[in-house]
Amino acid sequence: MRGRTVRRGRLSVLAAAAFTLAGTLTACSSSPNDVGSDAKQTIRFVWWGNEDRAKATEKAVALFEKQHPNIEVQAEFSGYPSYVQKLTTQIAGGAAPDLLQLDRPTFGEYQQKHQLADLSPYLGKSLKTDRIPASLLAGGKADGGQYAMPAGLTTELIVYDKELFAKAGVTVPENGWDWKQFAADMVKVQKKTGRAGTSDFGWSVDLFETWLHQRGKALYASDSTLGFTEDDLAEYWNMLGSLREKKAITAPQITTKSDGSVQNSPLVAKESASETSYDSGVSSYVTSYQGGTLALAPLPTDSATASGMPALPPVYYGVSRRSSHKEAAALLMDFLVNDPKAGAVLGTTRGTPPNSDNKDTVCAKATGPEKQTCDFQTAMAGRLMPSDSWFWPSGSAALKSDFQRVFDEVIFGETGVAEGAAKVVQNAEQSLSQ
Amino acid sequence: MSAQAATPTHLTVSGGEPKRAGAARGVLWHVVVIALVVVLMYPVVWLVSSSFKPAGEILSNLSVLPEHATTSHYGDVFGGVAGYSIWQYFGNSLAVSLLSVIGNVLSCALAGYAFGRLRFRGRGPLFAFMLSTIMLPHHVVLIPQYIIFQQLDMVNTLWPLVLPKFFATEAFFVFLMVQFVRGLPRELDESATIDGCGPFRTFWYVILPLLRPAVITTAIFTFIWTWNDFFSQLIYLNDPSKFTLPLALQMFVDQGSDSAFGPMFAMSVLALVPIGLFFVAFQRFLVDGVSTSGLKG
Amino acid sequence: MPTIAQARPAGERAEKARPEVTKEPPPRRWKRTGAAYVFLSPWVIGASLLTIGPMLASLYLAFTDYDLFNSPKWVGLRNFERMFTQDDRFWNSVAVTLKFALISVPLKLAVALGVALLLNKERRGTGFYRSAFYAPSLLGASVSVALVWRSLFGSHGFVDHFLGFFGLHVGSMVDQPRYALLTVIALAVWQFGAPMVIFLAGLKQVPKDLYEAAALDGAGPVRRFFAVTLPMITPVVLFNLVLEVIQAFQSFTGAFVIGSGRGGPSDSTLLYTLYLYQRGFNNFEMGYASAMAWVLLLTISIITVLLFRSSRKWVFYTGEGNR
Repeated sequence: MRGRTVRRGRLSVLAAAAFTLAGTLTACSSSPNDVGSDAKQTIRFVWWGNEDRAKATEKAVALFEKQHPNIEVQAEFSGYPSYVQKLTTQIAGGAAPDLLQLDRPTFGEYQQKHQLADLSPYLGKSLKTDRIPASLLAGGKADGGQYAMPAGLTTELIVYDKELFAKAGVTVPENGWDWKQFAADMVKVQKKTGRAGTSDFGWSVDLFETWLHQRGKALYASDSTLGFTEDDLAEYWNMLGSLREKKAITAPQITTKSDGSVQNSPLVAKESASETSYDSGVSSYVTSYQGGTLALAPLPTDSATASGMPALPPVYYGVSRRSSHKEAAALLMDFLVNDPKAGAVLGTTRGTPPNSDNKDTVCAKATGPEKQTCDFQTAMAGRLMPSDSWFWPSGSAALKSDFQRVFDEVIFGETGVAEGAAKVVQNAEQSLSQ
Repeated sequence: MSAQAATPTHLTVSGGEPKRAGAARGVLWHVVVIALVVVLMYPVVWLVSSSFKPAGEILSNLSVLPEHATTSHYGDVFGGVAGYSIWQYFGNSLAVSLLSVIGNVLSCALAGYAFGRLRFRGRGPLFAFMLSTIMLPHHVVLIPQYIIFQQLDMVNTLWPLVLPKFFATEAFFVFLMVQFVRGLPRELDESATIDGCGPFRTFWYVILPLLRPAVITTAIFTFIWTWNDFFSQLIYLNDPSKFTLPLALQMFVDQGSDSAFGPMFAMSVLALVPIGLFFVAFQRFLVDGVSTSGLKG
Repeated sequence: MPTIAQARPAGERAEKARPEVTKEPPPRRWKRTGAAYVFLSPWVIGASLLTIGPMLASLYLAFTDYDLFNSPKWVGLRNFERMFTQDDRFWNSVAVTLKFALISVPLKLAVALGVALLLNKERRGTGFYRSAFYAPSLLGASVSVALVWRSLFGSHGFVDHFLGFFGLHVGSMVDQPRYALLTVIALAVWQFGAPMVIFLAGLKQVPKDLYEAAALDGAGPVRRFFAVTLPMITPVVLFNLVLEVIQAFQSFTGAFVIGSGRGGPSDSTLLYTLYLYQRGFNNFEMGYASAMAWVLLLTISIITVLLFRSSRKWVFYTGEGNR
């Protein structure tokens, strides 16, 4: 027995050695030999997305290559499921791509784990920001540096069925609802149409974050502390709980499949008459929704100044800290974000263009749901909040999924609201401290 | 199929019964089997029929039959997915699957024979270790393995997907071969040994032919599982031109709108066709592999 | 002609076989051992290059804090401590996995064997039927399966309507903690093609003359099944049982696809490996995930050893018994 333990100990040391060796080897192979020279270099650009985004992006990349004959771009893309797993494996395996498309939790996670390069040295030089709204640019800021660029602009809103609301005699107030009026209207819609007024959104930490911002709070106070208490969360979930009792929002077994995708949307499944969403999803809603016309409305708020609606990048571009072609990656990033031709090609495949000039061009030509989105953003222009206080630190991916999981327990009656809220806070504090 | 039933080797034992009872029983059998098939095939049928539903009907119309059938999704898919022809994805999937079949059959038959029949020092512990490799969830060996292939400069090629198969790393199939080898009558290879055959010739002339059902089983499963495998292909293939079908299929998920589901179903159906054909073509041999009549000895 | 009486359990065989080995002349034995290693060489190369290293690495990581990017920090037994004493979700995932395995494995094997028996006799159309029964397994766990399952078990889906016909209104089964795991089990059982094919191959190996002998003794179909078929295919039963148990404990994709990777609703489909995956790639705690993997490995090993131990009592190897 003794001998065996000793042997195992030795083995683990061996394994440790092998592992660190692999680590060092990979670290060495990516020694920096930055640009400057005209030597031909190849950079790898990864993103996830659907076909439309893939086609548009490849076209834009081809335009870039024509403009920069000394840079070859290896475009790699996949579907979203497991994108993060793949990217993480590549980085951990020492094969980090140069330019990365990131979502919000992953951006924070990678930034805090020091996997992203600070773009500050390139700002104003190869990477121009003068035409990008400051409120939007703020989303890529962290630790006093610029660690990512917005690939587009999106904000939160309510998508609703115009006819159903009209039938119930509900109109969107000129400056949007306050929460009380909203609750009353949702009850009304349910009474008149038989359909829940809106899809229960208690699962979404994004919406909770919005609600907090309307009250002058935030999801995170710093990289390692929460910006809310369990009482805040309990109050929020209780507000939804009373709506659920009145059937003004969807029932638990309808709500539980929600994940923000149109595929699992209660609104599209005709279980509700409206739904909270990001405006980058409006096109998908409109093409999927049958037998009604969808219109857009701002989120309810009780504050005259804080709409709670952020100017958020739907996705971010970041450069890997281990990249040996950071300059070239920054050039490509600049091209995708600012170049008018790229802007025209990319259209609204990553939200509306981040560059205001490009956005104006794209919006002027937009039709249908894209035009709806553009018009909505124009109408909201003065009310969108800067997104720097929307930064999600390391551990937020865990919080996001934990939030939804505990909410499920709450709506299915397995946990009380107060108890659930306490659990979320406790787990979040634990994952933030790691 | 009827020719098969006519061959004398396949006559069943129930020959002694009166003809009429036999026929009645045959009808009953067909009724039972067809009923089972209908129940089990319902979801597959739903999938196929959904690929003919126009966008908008897919999420709203849950019935089996499309209201307004359309073939436009197939047109979309054949028009190319994410900038590449679907034949390219087919070709890649086919290459990975076929090479995997060859690798698995060769390496696993060898290892299976060694573990199942030969006696050698360390057989017990090695066999136990071999089995234990099936038991470790692959998510945790993923990154170390990735580092290895990265060091070998094989990432973004087919090698990380195919090479392991040539080294019998799929313990499932080694285990399958072992079980089959152990089921073969020992006197066969013993008589071969007496005839002066060494282990190699015994393997080649006696064991391998008898292993045919196991070989075919291995081939079929390897083909189908490799064809459907998603995670390892996702991790190792970067360049879209090297993508396999499951990776291309993922492109539809993110779309999230109804308009993407039609082509997604169409492509799922198309991806089913080759493995379906492969299975239909070879399942016959599974059973015909009654060269195991060697058992009758 | 071998009869059932001649087929001896493996344990007895092993005892008998051992003295014979020692009787072999030394040169021949050496030659055999050498040959064995030649046959094994691909496996040995593969195992030492691609399996042992990564396995040891994960074993080492199990004792570390490893966020996938920065070098692992040794924490001793802390991961295990946390897992066993502080992690409710861990124990929940154990419970879910046990429930999944205990229901899905016997059910899947019973269905597979039942259908294999039905299809064993050559009749008109067996080829077609065999393919039809295999078709669900061809689908694997592709992304479209999630939608198919929702159409079956979701609200207004097939099962909902079917049960409504009997006055039962369960609503969407995939979206309720009480039923969601059942739909994952249904997917696992529905894809019974692999064990069915292996059963079929095993059934084909049962010598026909055994049936003839049994029929001459006046045994009916039921007795023939229990006296001839079942004992003769016990090696295949063992094979399928071991593999299905292992597979059930590692089951991932079905739940991953149906529950969009979340294990919901409310963790009711949080299978062990799904939780492990979330810890590793969602929370970036690969050390913890590796610790979980090794707990799983040890658990499955123990179960497998127990199955093999028990198999000495119920598995018959004709090949060896005939000597």
